[in-house]
Amino acid sequence: MNIQDIYNLNKKNFLYSQYSDVENDRNNVLTNFSINKFDKKNNESLRNTDLKKFFEFDYKYNHQENQSITRINKDGSYSIVSVNGKCENYDDEQIQIHNLSELDSKDYFNNELLNTDDFFIDLNSLLLNSGFKIKIKKNKNVKIKISNLISEKNFTVFQRNYILCEEGSSVELIDEYEDKNDAINNVYKILQIEKNANFNHTIVQENSFNHSLILSTHTICKERANYNQHVYNFSEGYVRNFHFSDLKETNSQVDLQGFFFLRNSNTSNNKTFVRHSSEDCKSNQAYKGILNDSSKATYFSNTHVDSVAQKTEGYQLSKGILLSKDAYFFSKPELKIYADDVKCSHGSTIGPIDENAIFYLRSRGISKNAAIKMLVSSFINEELNSIVNDYVFEMIEKKLIRYLSEIK
Amino acid sequence: MFVDTETLDTLNNFSKNKYKYGFVTEIDSDKPKKGLDEDTVKFISLKKKEPKWMLDWRLNSFSKWKEMKEPQWANLSFPKIDYQDIYYYSAPKGFDKKPKDLSEVDPKLIETYNKLGIPLEEQKVLAGVAVDVVFDSVSVATTYKGELEKLGIIFCSIGEAVQKHPDLVKKYLGSVIPPGDHSFSALNSAVFTDGSFVYIPKNVKCPMELSTYFRINSEDTGQFERTLIIADEGSYVSYLEGCTAPRRDSNQLHAANVELIALKDAEIKYSTVQNWYPGDEEGKGGIYNFVTKRGLCAGENSKISWTQVETGSAITWKYPSCILKGDNSIGEFYSVAITNNYQQADTGTKMTHIGKNTKSKIISKGISLGHSQNTYRGDVSFSKKADKARNYTQCDSLLVGNKCGAHTVPYIESKNNTAIIEHEASTSKINEDQLYYCRQRGLNHEEAVSLIVNGFCKQVLQELPMEFAVEAQKLVSISLEGSVG
Repeated sequence: MNIQDIYNLNKKNFLYSQYSDVENDRNNVLTNFSINKFDKKNNESLRNTDLKKFFEFDYKYNHQENQSITRINKDGSYSIVSVNGKCENYDDEQIQIHNLSELDSKDYFNNELLNTDDFFIDLNSLLLNSGFKIKIKKNKNVKIKISNLISEKNFTVFQRNYILCEEGSSVELIDEYEDKNDAINNVYKILQIEKNANFNHTIVQENSFNHSLILSTHTICKERANYNQHVYNFSEGYVRNFHFSDLKETNSQVDLQGFFFLRNSNTSNNKTFVRHSSEDCKSNQAYKGILNDSSKATYFSNTHVDSVAQKTEGYQLSKGILLSKDAYFFSKPELKIYADDVKCSHGSTIGPIDENAIFYLRSRGISKNAAIKMLVSSFINEELNSIVNDYVFEMIEKKLIRYLSEIK
Repeated sequence: MFVDTETLDTLNNFSKNKYKYGFVTEIDSDKPKKGLDEDTVKFISLKKKEPKWMLDWRLNSFSKWKEMKEPQWANLSFPKIDYQDIYYYSAPKGFDKKPKDLSEVDPKLIETYNKLGIPLEEQKVLAGVAVDVVFDSVSVATTYKGELEKLGIIFCSIGEAVQKHPDLVKKYLGSVIPPGDHSFSALNSAVFTDGSFVYIPKNVKCPMELSTYFRINSEDTGQFERTLIIADEGSYVSYLEGCTAPRRDSNQLHAANVELIALKDAEIKYSTVQNWYPGDEEGKGGIYNFVTKRGLCAGENSKISWTQVETGSAITWKYPSCILKGDNSIGEFYSVAITNNYQQADTGTKMTHIGKNTKSKIISKGISLGHSQNTYRGDVSFSKKADKARNYTQCDSLLVGNKCGAHTVPYIESKNNTAIIEHEASTSKINEDQLYYCRQRGLNHEEAVSLIVNGFCKQVLQELPMEFAVEAQKLVSISLEGSVG
């Protein structure tokens, strides 16, 4: 079924379908699909994507009973299980969680970043069927773990998550996407980091082969806010990680790091976009990937510095290792700079594992396979060792060992 | 604050910097009617007394152009080009009969060259430079022809090559840049008027730098040059191209095509200093420069090296590229691009690795001043067969003032797991410490900046042949004069 048909058939089931103004906005978005606004050749959001899979699919979603749970662990951290893009409503002195309700309909299309010319974000706006809001209250120190699940086979979830981190708070959020169900999960996450807040965001992905995850995150940083994102992608299915950062006020900074470990015929598309619209901000974008078998990956990084954003520091780095002759990697590290007092750079490398290093190890009696594994793990070892959270470290280590064991 | 106000002052001073080569020689031009249709193409072909196959090739290109749109992806903005408001052929009058020697050449023309500092008479005496001068669109005089002929080297205008060496032209014209590649290549293929043709026979090392000076002179005349250089097995040639254009108010379109073919063990070095009229302080006028340059390393161990210094043109759209088809072939690209006032440049290169052990190196330096926009756009791709291929890319940008922009857009693609790509880029302003150091030693602000910028570009400038190195360094200084120093 194509997108127009899906929309027309399920009109009543989408979120906010009762509001006429929302419907108007949706119709505007729909024209993007009908007049083929998306330039399939040059649009970054479509590059290296199985178009057939996302231009025509079977829509399936039920607003069934909420199976989501939120609980507090002994150490004071929160565990949230979100099922099909929904959460259990919850409120205490530290955080507040609620599912998207009528009250939020105004926010829905009121987002400047919706004009990103991104196919999947437009699709999310059009077919939105679920979502939740989390608010971390002022000056709190909170640890949250969210497990994102889909309860039924062939579900197509289009969800939007709003996370507001209020002034002076410190948050550690672990987002887990591990699902064995065949499904399409399109998530658009909007994070607002207020003044002096500190946000550490870890995203771990390990989905099964027929599970497609499209994750778009968008962060708005206020004065002296600090946002760190670490993405680890071990999925067998298609994963898209696009991130947009807006450094709105002075002295804010973002650090975006991504790691993808691909095998078989897997595809992963990645993008980071940082917009410096104020002075004295810092950004860092670093992605590393290992590609085995006939896997494919793209990485677009982009630093945009407005003319007012003097004293900017923006760095980009992308490194890819191709383990097999059928692997494919495309990277496009872009700088767009309109201010003069800046320090911006990017570096990008693609290549095989250093042959000299393999030779060195083999001459010391280590088998070729073991040597490759050793060098692959050393490739990301530095970043792994910098993980402070024990829970995350153990989880990543376990997944990495499993990935390495599959290298032949 | 001290430096800030000074920078502002010098920036303001800069706007008073006038274009040095802005003079016009009054020579009657022989033009067809304005506009582009099949008749224009036929007119050009007739004027150039071309055989039928050439006319057919042009008409075929023209029909392709009619179907095509201009490429949109470049980071440039300019008013839509009205192709019907341009003259497509302009040759100085009385040139239907070619002059036998310099005394028959219009003295005013000679005067123009003297102003530019290329006295033709002296060139004959001067060490090792043969000049095929293109004034507007027809070759005026070719020197050193005899000496080159002895070695079997063919160095003539493309029009002459069509007459005298049709086999070579038929075989190679359009083989690297097919007319249907994009709209500017189709346009050029349909209406090209002149340009150079070079053929270096097997195992011949061309003893001198071959050089052409282009000069746009007639108002509203687009120049559509076509250059074809073929280096046969084991040969070597270094080719120089330099341009200056007189001051004009309305925009002039320039869409040249340059094709290089290096066969087995051959090497081609192509150097350009481009200084077309960039428009005035308000961004009015100036040349639109849409150039397609592409080299094919067809044979094993061949090498193509592009060096360019781009300081002129209101719009620069130029990507000298290499197709590294032969095993062990090498492609190089060295570029300095300086943009001022309201100039816009979108320039870079494309390295396509197809053969095994192919290597490429890209060094690009961009300097933006005033309200200009300077973009580096590069594409490096490794095909599946490009085993052990290697690329190294470095592109640095320097920004002066906060009204200009510097952008870097590299596309990096690898389909081979033995190939290695390294890319690095940086953007910054002129280092305050370096500036302070220079000023401390008695240089004024302007001199200091000029010195630092020249150092910034040195890696590229040193790749230029001796004949060009002086001119290029002067150009860099002139481009900065009064602006930043």
